[in-house]
Amino acid sequence: MNKTINQRAWLFVIPVFILVAFNAVVPLMTVVNYAFQETFANNVFTWEGTRWFKQILRSDRFHAALGRQFMFTGVILLIQIPLGIAIALSMPKKGIGVPICLVLMSMPLLIPWNVVGAMWNIFALPEIGFLGHSLNDLGFDYNFTQQIGDAWFTTILMDVWHWTSLVVLLSYAGLQSIQPAYYQAAEIDGASKWAIFRYIELPKMKKVLTIAILLRFMDSFMIYTEPFVLTGGGPGNATAFLSIDLVKMALGQFDLGPAAAMSLIYFFIVLLVCWVFYNLMMRNEEQK
Amino acid sequence: MIFQKLYAATGSWDTVAKAHEKSFFDFEFITWMAWTWQTAVFFIFIALCLTGMILWEKKVPGGTPRRGILSLDTTRGDRLFISLLSAAYIHLVWLGLVDASLWFATIISVLFSIIVFRYV
Repeated sequence: MNKTINQRAWLFVIPVFILVAFNAVVPLMTVVNYAFQETFANNVFTWEGTRWFKQILRSDRFHAALGRQFMFTGVILLIQIPLGIAIALSMPKKGIGVPICLVLMSMPLLIPWNVVGAMWNIFALPEIGFLGHSLNDLGFDYNFTQQIGDAWFTTILMDVWHWTSLVVLLSYAGLQSIQPAYYQAAEIDGASKWAIFRYIELPKMKKVLTIAILLRFMDSFMIYTEPFVLTGGGPGNATAFLSIDLVKMALGQFDLGPAAAMSLIYFFIVLLVCWVFYNLMMRNEEQK
Repeated sequence: MIFQKLYAATGSWDTVAKAHEKSFFDFEFITWMAWTWQTAVFFIFIALCLTGMILWEKKVPGGTPRRGILSLDTTRGDRLFISLLSAAYIHLVWLGLVDASLWFATIISVLFSIIVFRYV
């Protein structure tokens, strides 16, 4: 029996295709065009070749922003992943506590980025904010608008508050999917708590943890709104992460050419990391 | 080339800030993207790569999946992606560290893609 070949369903893809073309492909092409030219405005462009790429790749400013970005992403991953797992492990497995915990955990995730930034800004202000005022009362010399260490501390604390629950929810889902038989077998063998975690729970959570790390990496690597509202990249450039520096260059200085070159370099870093994680996930899938 | 006619001001600094006459192909819906013939050639090359992959797939379906030296399961499309991404990185590293002509980076990228298509 011959199957009729009907390809007309492809027509349904057209709207998505147009949408992606206009909000991703066309802007990306424009950025590529900008990256090789100089402009002052009025849609007048002059060809500059690879000058902007050379300039960006060799500039201390870009190296510093990239360094800050990797440091921020590294620190929040080191905090959020273990903390998220620990919270997920200590959450109740059944009963009324489960929905309460889940709702409480998802609260921070529902708050818009700029609101989180504004909340933490007020919360941490040394004179009127609860956090800032209390810390100063306790004898710490805390002022996130003037001291670099305090600015970093506040930014990291804010991100941990906002996003750890994502890791918690994913880890919890991973934990819930473990069959009770594994725990029973471990109990018969007299396995320690650590052994259960290391040889049952962690391997079973591997898949969701890979996704959690990928999501947290990408989100924190592209973070803009929260530090922009909280510190505005300051004091000085201390918390000007890659995206904040990029916007400063593009809109503050109106250096569209260098900014376009910088965003392409940024894009390639993100693309590489995505590819690596995609392959890791596929490998996990295979082992299942 | 139509793309040379898109912008009268792509030539040199002399033309900066001078009104440019609308040429025959100067459509507003495309000129705002600030095309140059170089970037157009680049995107045409990408489009040709993708078209080539479609034709290749029609000729030899299945994408010849295999496990190469990176112990990754790759198909033809993966190999193209790896080649293009590495080409981008090779060019960036060249621009960042070396002052010699960028064409050497292009040659290295082509050689590297041949290796990727053979062994990865």
